Amino acid sequence: MSSERKPSDSIPLEIHDLTVAYQSKPVLYGIDVAIPPGKLIGIIGPNGAGKSTLIKSIMGLIPIEAGWIRLFGEPGKRHLKRVAYVPQKESVDWDFPVNVLDVVMMGRYGRLGLFRRPKAHDREVAWACLEKVHMTPYADRQIANLSGGQQQRVFLARALAQECDLYLMDEPFAGVDATTEASIIELLHALRADGKTILVVHHDLPTARNYFDMLMLLNMRLIDFGPTETIFTYEKLQKTYGGRLTILSEVADAVRQNHEP
Amino acid sequence: MNHRGLLKPFNNLWPLVLFWIGTWQARADRIGEMVDISLKDQFIRFASLEDPALRFALAGGVILGILCGMMGTFLVVRKLSLVGDTISHAVLPGVAAGFLWNMEKDPLAILIGATLAGLMGMVLVSQLTRHTRLKEDTALGMILAGFFGVGICLMGMIQRLPTGNKSGMDKFLFGQAAALGWQEIQIMALVGLIALSMIYLFYKELLVSSFDVSFARSIRIPVDWIHHGFMLLLAFAIVISLEAVGVVLVSAMLIIPAATAFLLSDRMHWMLLWACMVGVMAGVGGIFFSFLGQKLPTGPFMVLSAAVLFALALFFAPRHGMLARWWLRRSRTLRIQRENALKAVFHIMEKEAFTKEGVTVIALARSKGQTLKTTEMTCRELERAGLATLSHEEKALYLTPDGMRRAQTIVRNHRLWERYLTDAVNYAPDHVHDDAEEIEHILGEDTVRMLERQLNFVDRDPHGKPIPTIQDIASSGQTQASKGQGMSGYRNPS
Amino acid sequence: MNTLILPWDWHRVVIEPWSLGTSVYGWILLMGFLINLTCGLIGNYLILRRMALIGDAISHSVLPGMAIAFLVAGAWQLPIATEGTPSPVPEGLPHSMAMVIGAGIAGIVTGLIIEWIHQKSRIKQDAAIGITFSTLFALGVVIISLYADKVHLDADCVLHGEIAFIPLEPFLTIGTHPIAPAPVVQMGVVAILTALGIGLFYKELLVSSFDPGLAHATGIRADWIHYGLMIWLSVVVVSAFESVGAILVIAMLILPGASASLLSQRLHIMLAWSSLHALLSSLIGLHLAIWWDTSIAGSMVVAGSSLFFLCWLISPSQGPLWRRLRRKSSTDTKAAATQPLSKTYS
Repeated sequence: MSSERKPSDSIPLEIHDLTVAYQSKPVLYGIDVAIPPGKLIGIIGPNGAGKSTLIKSIMGLIPIEAGWIRLFGEPGKRHLKRVAYVPQKESVDWDFPVNVLDVVMMGRYGRLGLFRRPKAHDREVAWACLEKVHMTPYADRQIANLSGGQQQRVFLARALAQECDLYLMDEPFAGVDATTEASIIELLHALRADGKTILVVHHDLPTARNYFDMLMLLNMRLIDFGPTETIFTYEKLQKTYGGRLTILSEVADAVRQNHEP
Repeated sequence: MNHRGLLKPFNNLWPLVLFWIGTWQARADRIGEMVDISLKDQFIRFASLEDPALRFALAGGVILGILCGMMGTFLVVRKLSLVGDTISHAVLPGVAAGFLWNMEKDPLAILIGATLAGLMGMVLVSQLTRHTRLKEDTALGMILAGFFGVGICLMGMIQRLPTGNKSGMDKFLFGQAAALGWQEIQIMALVGLIALSMIYLFYKELLVSSFDVSFARSIRIPVDWIHHGFMLLLAFAIVISLEAVGVVLVSAMLIIPAATAFLLSDRMHWMLLWACMVGVMAGVGGIFFSFLGQKLPTGPFMVLSAAVLFALALFFAPRHGMLARWWLRRSRTLRIQRENALKAVFHIMEKEAFTKEGVTVIALARSKGQTLKTTEMTCRELERAGLATLSHEEKALYLTPDGMRRAQTIVRNHRLWERYLTDAVNYAPDHVHDDAEEIEHILGEDTVRMLERQLNFVDRDPHGKPIPTIQDIASSGQTQASKGQGMSGYRNPS
Repeated sequence: MNTLILPWDWHRVVIEPWSLGTSVYGWILLMGFLINLTCGLIGNYLILRRMALIGDAISHSVLPGMAIAFLVAGAWQLPIATEGTPSPVPEGLPHSMAMVIGAGIAGIVTGLIIEWIHQKSRIKQDAAIGITFSTLFALGVVIISLYADKVHLDADCVLHGEIAFIPLEPFLTIGTHPIAPAPVVQMGVVAILTALGIGLFYKELLVSSFDPGLAHATGIRADWIHYGLMIWLSVVVVSAFESVGAILVIAMLILPGASASLLSQRLHIMLAWSSLHALLSSLIGLHLAIWWDTSIAGSMVVAGSSLFFLCWLISPSQGPLWRRLRRKSSTDTKAAATQPLSKTYS
């Protein structure tokens, strides 16, 4: 990667020599990357490449083995409230007694802090975010009574309500219908136009080329990162998806077995 | 909107009341055989609240109901129901130890001892699941019964002590609300207030961390602290309910009111409110029944009252009850039957190139392969729904504009879907019909529009039959144009 | 007798019980062992199948089955063992038959209600379990307290059992020769049948516990095995019920298997370890109870729990002792393993 970079507020996310282990099994090795602002970036790689792990470690949900992460030029969790995270869809109980507006309102909770209740302003923001994903007619519905695509849009609206500068999305296109896919893309472009930075874990190679400004190829380590035109080449994809990495994962297994039998 | 939401839950309260009156009469007869005082006197004593012990018991029941309902709600939505069960059994050695502290039934010592024991049980469960390969259910069951065994041993030793015999320790097993005194009520009220204010203060943190843990972490909510604090409150709630419900059945008072509320509401604050109401009703009901029979344990009666309420909700809850679900299924089946009949009518008319106004019932019966009688019933059903009219002798069926539109919509869905399957999914044309038979009834308007766009506004199905267009559907409703537009919701693409 | 924990007295605790010249403690020990053994054997499968809490549920919900069986048997004028009246059939047999049948039905009903609530409504399975068994248990307690004259069960005894009364139960006789107290004979039969069942269906149980899908593919009816196990579990629980109560039996179901799973990962070795656990916990538990002069069943559970923690401590694969030893030797290796890799690939 580029050797000289100065940490500054203009770089929303900088990762240096990041190694992450999951239950003592290393899944990411020495990631080095600086994300420029205002870009729509896809994270591409095969199953088990550590895409979700990367996002979770940025959010501080998984402890880091080595290296550091800087958000908006500063280490630690100081700027974490400027980062929004859209987890994978399956992680919630759809029968939970909340309606669509409640879920979107949760996006405001991080800004409210302890002991404070949502105010009229928060409600307005939540409505506006629902409007952006075209879900206002469903505001009153319990979340189980939505289609898969609508559920995904609700979670996007929740992320919007956080009013952040950096968005991390874990497979937002997984299992959604075409309408939702189109409306998500429209939304991502609108966010980018506002100068936000968006990192999207993506599974589908053909669409990746059209959707993103920049691509990050990942397979337990960073294969490459750059503008889509230069990255989306046969050799680089081959390198990402090729079988060479079995050695790496075998070694990782060995490390784990050695550590915790 | 809000007002309707406010009142709606109360609409289905009256059958509860009826049921209540019905059951106590029946049950009370049974109990009445065993007591000397007549049932009527006993009831009057209950209603007049003369007995100070009864007043304490009722106050205890109300506090217990509210607290257990609140904590139980979070317990159920966090899917920790059986954790509650484990804690409630694991407090027993703590109760005994609290008694041993100064050899009398000191409520405060018992509260502290039991809370510590419950928390210790929880810590052990989490240690076991973290450091061994034992699954959570195994760890829970083991701690539940292991701690209970220790408690039983300690209670056995206490019974042997000179003061132990009249300690009233055995009341902690099945509960005896009549044993509650002023001191106990004070402590219950205090702990209840603390728990209530904690839930009020941390409501949004509790809500978001129960709903979506990883999201809660990502917005820097201290999820682990919230969890530990919640467990502490839970232990408190269990401990103060002990004397009224008993160790064995406390968990039921946590789970059942909350589960009842879960069937009755779709939003957290409503669920909390319902759970408290059911909890209070169950608490008071249990005290009432055990009061009628005098020395009967309170706990089992509270649980049974709660279970009756749960069963009612399970069957009659407005949206999630079994009856409501059954009704929904039935009305869906009926709709599909109607739509299929409309489609059959359309097919006959199409075969005759729409030269005739209606179809004969006989022709319809032949095309559907049904008896004349069944077909006549279907026709009358269509007439009732305002989709068709029958001629005077019930020989011929004429579609109303509304019915025509619906028929065209269904045929359009069917043929578009067949087209989609052959063109885009590469089905063989003779394999698509059965699938389309099902899909035609559930395709939404948006999806149909999308299908159409994707298929380039194709006008023939794979078998060469024309696909009705939006213009067709709109024009068959000329006479009721505005209504038709509203109903089908289609807008002209041009 | 004023102190909580009586002083340790070797003679009183260990020698005296076995030198009284009566077989009182022998029968108690035998009963305790049989219960622990049977529960432990079936418990291994509960743990493997993640059904530990179903065991919890069934142990509670057999109570109304037993209570109703008592009432029905009474209504039919079956010769329930009453004082003084000689009965044509061995005493206690009809009532234990009625109870076993009642409990079996209760076990199945519990399973079905849990499934029904869980599948037909939005209630989750854990809540469905909790609702079902606590309601049934409450129903049982209410029946017992309302019909105390007809149901020979004591509400407190339901919780911790009265294994100490086992030697006082009527003896089953062949001709005029007394063999053993009726509950011990019953438990013995159940234990033998359990061992036989496990022996006969070893591979079916193994396959269906490990992978129900595979079991189905090889023609094994996993659902039959599931319900068969539930019925048998109810029979085991009900046979042990009067001795150890509804809650302590859960410990006896889970503790031996859980301890065994810490010592071995192979099923047949686990079964052997759990039998040993059963023997030791009943033997140690009996003497603890004599020492402390308290509930025997409770003490057996205390002994069983202590043995479990001992197993955890020394467990070769999961225990803290071995782990610490191993970690010491592997910390360096781990550092050595991750660092160069990250250098190589970045």
